[in-house]
Amino acid sequence: MEIYQIILIALFVYLGSIGSIVGNTIGWYTLGRPLVAALVVGVILGDVQTAMIVGIPLQIMYMGNVTPGGAVAWDLSYATYIGVTGAIVFGNGLDTAQVIGLAVVFAGIGGLVGQIMWNISYALNLPLNRVANKYAEAGETKKMFIPNVVMGQSIGFVCRFIPAIIVLTSMTAASAQADFATIIPGWVTIALGIFGGMMASLGMGIILSFLLKKKYHLAIFLAGFILVTYFSLSTMAVAVVAIITSILYYVAVSSLETKKGVA
Amino acid sequence: MNKKISEKTLKKSFWNWFFWHGCSQQAESMLGMAFAQSMAPVIDELYDKKEEKASALKRHTTLFNTEQQVGIICNGVVCGLEEANANEECTPELISSVKVALIGPTSAIGDSLWVATFIPILLTICLSISQASPSASWLGPVLYMIVYPVGTCILSWNLFKLGYKSGIEGMQGFMATGRLDTLTDTMTALGLIVVGALTASFVTATVPFRIVKDVYDATQGIVLENQVIFDADKMLNSIFPHVLPLLLTLGVYYLYSKKKWSPLKLMGLILMIACIFTFVGYATGFYA
Repeated sequence: MEIYQIILIALFVYLGSIGSIVGNTIGWYTLGRPLVAALVVGVILGDVQTAMIVGIPLQIMYMGNVTPGGAVAWDLSYATYIGVTGAIVFGNGLDTAQVIGLAVVFAGIGGLVGQIMWNISYALNLPLNRVANKYAEAGETKKMFIPNVVMGQSIGFVCRFIPAIIVLTSMTAASAQADFATIIPGWVTIALGIFGGMMASLGMGIILSFLLKKKYHLAIFLAGFILVTYFSLSTMAVAVVAIITSILYYVAVSSLETKKGVA
Repeated sequence: MNKKISEKTLKKSFWNWFFWHGCSQQAESMLGMAFAQSMAPVIDELYDKKEEKASALKRHTTLFNTEQQVGIICNGVVCGLEEANANEECTPELISSVKVALIGPTSAIGDSLWVATFIPILLTICLSISQASPSASWLGPVLYMIVYPVGTCILSWNLFKLGYKSGIEGMQGFMATGRLDTLTDTMTALGLIVVGALTASFVTATVPFRIVKDVYDATQGIVLENQVIFDADKMLNSIFPHVLPLLLTLGVYYLYSKKKWSPLKLMGLILMIACIFTFVGYATGFYA
């Protein structure tokens, strides 16, 4: 990787992290999603095709990444930007399943670094309350942005950008040594491929924990499953069928309730 | 004499929150400082005396937390209440208690309806587009990058205005109609079908176990070499296609949801299973 590529990716790691300066709507929930991150990395490194090949399974794997009450299980931004970059930099000569496995491993490393940095910034932000209270005490409405945006984001930027630079630089240095495909034994790459394929169950399992609230919900989940396995529909087709079904359901249930209300 | 928040100030308050709601998150006041910054222009406009401004700011630097996109309805409600307070129709105590009371429900609605349901559905549609056309795989993420932020921004602004206009009564009325429950049920069903389809398409797991032997064919009197006489994966899939990915996913769900395993621990477990499968596969000649 060239220096400008490292800096650009590190910048996006910061922008896509939770609570960055562009807000979670544009940052965490858009730039931080693996599908979007993959495209960004692909464009920066000039390999959109490989990036999207690993971006889609990473997105599935991290689909369940919800942040209830600010509890971050993974730093998604770190995980995906590092994961996709790792797959492109080290993936030379490996087949698709193995490249995906590689991306999953690098995403794991990235996510771990990110989580540590998140906890650090979470702690470093604490003293800012004293500053905010001081301004509040004085009724300085025009200065309330200082502790929140200026100080909070200086800490956030340092905690995200600099570690990302270090991780990316070491990856570049390591990739210059040798080709990954030639130094790693065959069974490792096979295990990586199996691991990558199975990791998608993690994302699905976590998101199910939000959606499965009643026993019969399992049947609805199975309906989507067999539409693909028995009827060979694509996920897009299932999504369309699901949207139509849910609209009909909503209209039916709402009109039923209105009728009950009249009677 | 009646004080009113101007449209311009409301917008300023909205943008302050939209961009900077997470800038100084920490354990003490969570999003408290961001909330105070969002309220600062409103307070500046409503109150004239320095002491009034100070006490208003102080009640908004305290602990506040919500799902920031749907939860912006809190900001709207608090704007409305501050306006009432400036006109002496409300008390600071009421503002504080309403604010705290809104933390729970808005977080729950935001997380379950928007973040855990709407985002995955939109992502699924976008990644299906990418997957369907490998030559234009950029289309999916580009679509998401436009639809999600713009859609969310419009939603947030409308919720903010709704909160401001209808105040706390409107919020309670909205939640009491039962419409929200129906909507949640519908979105849950929609999400479940999509997750089912995703599980079937993307989770892959193969039982790497088969028995390969040389078989003597009595009818032709020759020995057939390397015949697969038992293939566990083929057998399982002929009974129920993709049964292993399904069981794996439900197993992960069970461990995460009921046994409270952390994602990291689950990842370790999956890595272990992958290694065992690799070993078994090599031992039975599946990968050789």
